[in-house]
Amino acid sequence: MALLGQRSDVGEFRRRYRWLVLVAVSAFLVLVGRLAQLQLVQGDVHRAQARKNIIRERSLATTRGVIRDAQGRVLAANRPSYNVHMTPAEVDLTETWPAVVKMLGIDEPEKGELERKIKEIQALPSKGLTPFEEKRRNQQILLKVDVDRDAVAYLETHARELKGIEVSPQPVRYYPYGELGAHSIGYMREVGAEDLVRLEERGYRAGDRLGAIGVERRWESYLRGVRGFKKIVRGVSRRDDVQEVEARYLEEPRRVEPIPGRDISLTLDIDLIASIDKAFRGQLAGAVVVVDVRTGRVLAASSKPSFDANVASGGSGVKAVAETFRRLNADPLKPSLDKSISAAYPPGSTYKPFSALAALSDRIIDPDTEVDCRGGYEYGKRFFRCTGVHRKVHLHQAIVQSCNTYFYELGSRVSIDRLAAVGIDYGFGVKTGIGINPEARGRMPTRSWYTRRYKEAFRGGFTLLSAIGQGATTVTVLQLALAYAALANGGTLYQPQVVRSIETSDGTVVQDFPPRVRRLIEPNQEQLGWVKSALEGVVTEKEGTAYKERSTDVDMAGKTGTAQVSHVTPRGVDPGKVWYFNRDHAWFSGYAPAKSPEIAIVVLVEHGGGGGKNAVPIAMRVVRDWQKMKEKRLSSKEDQASARGKPN
Amino acid sequence: MAVASRMMFKRGPAVDMRLLFAVVLIVTAGLVNLYSATSVYADTAMRARLADIYVTQVYNMVVGGLLAILVAAIDYRHYERFAMLVYAGGVFLCGLVFVLGSSTRGAVRWIQIGSFNLQPSEFMKVLLVLMIARHIHNDHKNEPRTLVDLVIPGVLILVPVGLVMAQPDLGTGLILSLTAATMLMMTRIRRRTLTALLVSGVGVVWLAWNHGMKQYQKDRITSFLDPEHDKTGIGWHALQSQTAIGNGQLLGEGFMQGTQNQFGFLPDQFSDFPFAVFAEDWGFLGCVVLLGIYCFICVYAIHVASQAKDRFGAALATGIGALIFWHTVFNVGMAIGVLPVVGVTLPLFSYGGSSVVTTLVGLGLLMNVSMRR
Repeated sequence: MALLGQRSDVGEFRRRYRWLVLVAVSAFLVLVGRLAQLQLVQGDVHRAQARKNIIRERSLATTRGVIRDAQGRVLAANRPSYNVHMTPAEVDLTETWPAVVKMLGIDEPEKGELERKIKEIQALPSKGLTPFEEKRRNQQILLKVDVDRDAVAYLETHARELKGIEVSPQPVRYYPYGELGAHSIGYMREVGAEDLVRLEERGYRAGDRLGAIGVERRWESYLRGVRGFKKIVRGVSRRDDVQEVEARYLEEPRRVEPIPGRDISLTLDIDLIASIDKAFRGQLAGAVVVVDVRTGRVLAASSKPSFDANVASGGSGVKAVAETFRRLNADPLKPSLDKSISAAYPPGSTYKPFSALAALSDRIIDPDTEVDCRGGYEYGKRFFRCTGVHRKVHLHQAIVQSCNTYFYELGSRVSIDRLAAVGIDYGFGVKTGIGINPEARGRMPTRSWYTRRYKEAFRGGFTLLSAIGQGATTVTVLQLALAYAALANGGTLYQPQVVRSIETSDGTVVQDFPPRVRRLIEPNQEQLGWVKSALEGVVTEKEGTAYKERSTDVDMAGKTGTAQVSHVTPRGVDPGKVWYFNRDHAWFSGYAPAKSPEIAIVVLVEHGGGGGKNAVPIAMRVVRDWQKMKEKRLSSKEDQASARGKPN
Repeated sequence: MAVASRMMFKRGPAVDMRLLFAVVLIVTAGLVNLYSATSVYADTAMRARLADIYVTQVYNMVVGGLLAILVAAIDYRHYERFAMLVYAGGVFLCGLVFVLGSSTRGAVRWIQIGSFNLQPSEFMKVLLVLMIARHIHNDHKNEPRTLVDLVIPGVLILVPVGLVMAQPDLGTGLILSLTAATMLMMTRIRRRTLTALLVSGVGVVWLAWNHGMKQYQKDRITSFLDPEHDKTGIGWHALQSQTAIGNGQLLGEGFMQGTQNQFGFLPDQFSDFPFAVFAEDWGFLGCVVLLGIYCFICVYAIHVASQAKDRFGAALATGIGALIFWHTVFNVGMAIGVLPVVGVTLPLFSYGGSSVVTTLVGLGLLMNVSMRR
């Protein structure tokens, strides 16, 4: 039988074969053309991408520099800490999970939330996921930061059974002295999303920490160090030809070691700060600054209330940080404010020495100028009150007894601009340039300032108020300390310093900061002598405002101050019962020892009431402690010297 | 009649060595490439699975090869009579999938028989080619065909295509339609009819996009048009494939050295993207050689068709050539990013029993026609 023979007429197709061949060949040519584009033209780009796919740069953590005080005691360091992560896909919810929850002390609502997440992820299929889902499946969830040793020990010994639970070391910044000097030393915070935009090019990544305030912030770039990296081939640990594979794909340098951050030695003395803290215990809020009058180095700066830098840095967990800051920000005593640097207050009578120097240098008064104090001063239609009735006073008694009437008289003779000019000479109204924390400028009001501010004719009464450190005059605690240091050292205004030197981690000094003079004020030494002898009288003379609270074993000169805030304390009411925030600020500014000064100290007790009663005892205690420390250090040095001197 | 028959077998059918050589080359290259694709670094369980895949593919080749010899041995002209029967059987199996099928990733494609997974839509490709060839053979009028003339082949095509699309398997539906359309283009069709068909085709695509298509199918197409936009899903697959191919550069990374493949960046490297594996290992030169062989088979199929003694043989050869052509162009096209990612296999490179057997049987048919021209 014939197969299909008679019906075959293939002629119809003839003309179409050529077209089919043409279409087929050109389609293949298109494919080859695209291949040439991918493999030849863009080959390098794709090769680079392919390498990028398999190579991971694992960063090698650096260690942050240590901060030490003037005596070499560690103020900020790094301590090991352990975080616990879990991989939800691997967790055994029924067998081991309850034990983990109990060991870590995870509370009920958090436990529920975590279990929901675990179930959700475990419900995902193990195959056929998009890379995004894959990532989600393999992600780790932070269970708890900084777990205690017992928990770490438990988790490590049971590591085999506890699938999906992982303990990883993560150094945490540690401040051995907690609240002491926290404002100056600073604390650490996590880099925020908006910071990252700015900081990314400087090598910061999400989850990194940086100094939030104080030295930690100002010297961040020194303390931080440089992260290293190690290139690895993805998943290479699973392969048995690790060396070969790495040699093939990794370009040099395959590993760059991290550079540890620089260590920083401060001028601060933590013992002195501790002493301040102790002396301040009876008071709620305030600040103390102690500077070396011969160098301008800040020996102590303290602001109360303070906060625990460890908690603020996250040493007790993220939740504790949020909780702490909520509390700090709600506190009317403003614990987060550095009151030694960032806030300006009316100086009150502690400013009187500078008013006196202004008048003396203009020869408006001399030590024999006599003013009769009858409890106040009439000027125009107003009566300016004094702290008491001092009768006939000269400059010396006026400072010793803090007679306002004398200074009102002085203020009626001197121009306000002249008072301001002398103030600025001593560093008031200008930022000191300490470098840490946002600095308040304070204010030395001038005639033009008043006319600009009040848009009316200048009144002489403003000058009277300026002369006693009230009115619009404000200063920072640090400015006052430096100005008193300048009084003490005969007229040298120093730039305040907190950092003494920068060292590498092995102790080699990289940079050293010698004292820097801001200005030589060059006051008339005779006039300065009169003022200084009055400052000694404040403490040593029977009428002196600090006399009652003096310690006989403390050799100190200075001036008390009671600065009014907004409202005048009503008469006849027990100061303790006046609404706290209407109370006067209590001040004491001085230097010690009186005859050959080494340190200047300023104590501000916010709303403390009278300066003599409240600020002086604190200053006395601190200076007494300082004297003791000095003696101890001297004798131990002598011991060392004599020990070294001995043969054998 | 008997004389004519005897005259035809005067010298006896001789094996076409050129075609055989080309097919053996592709089979060898496909197995070598699959070895690379299944040697990726993975955990023990995964490696065992991959080794399994490789061995299975070797079996597939052997089974397909034997079937191809069988198919080639019997004069193709006998098949004309059975075309209708096997076509109907194929359509029945495609329908049976919905009853017995096992589903993977939301698509029902397989019928499980013992430990074998049968994919009727793959076999349907050859069966449809046979059926259309039969239709063309019997439809030998001289004037150009009108729309009415195309109703029967249209139904023949649309029934299996509809069933396959409903599974849903867009790739196979596309291949079926394109292959059958290519075969019909061999015959003379009126210009107006052709234009009308094209216009309505566009309309159908529009309708399908708005009403008929599943979201994941649309996603594939949108991610093709804008792969950068969707770096996590399907667009990511396409980008990784292009990276792999580009990484091959001129000479390739070397056998089993392509990092995109070795480090698991190629999704479905043994089924959807074997070409990327090949291109990364062997580079541009290797690709040109490989595409050259595929191109040779396609062109050679047309050559065989042009020399066929009857309409059935000519249409059959053209159909097999078209099948190989569309598979290759779509698979390579999606790997190099000029066509959207649709699940179309690369003949004899992609892993899959049904696909390999179908391709080899198809090539057996081509050989058959070639031997008897």
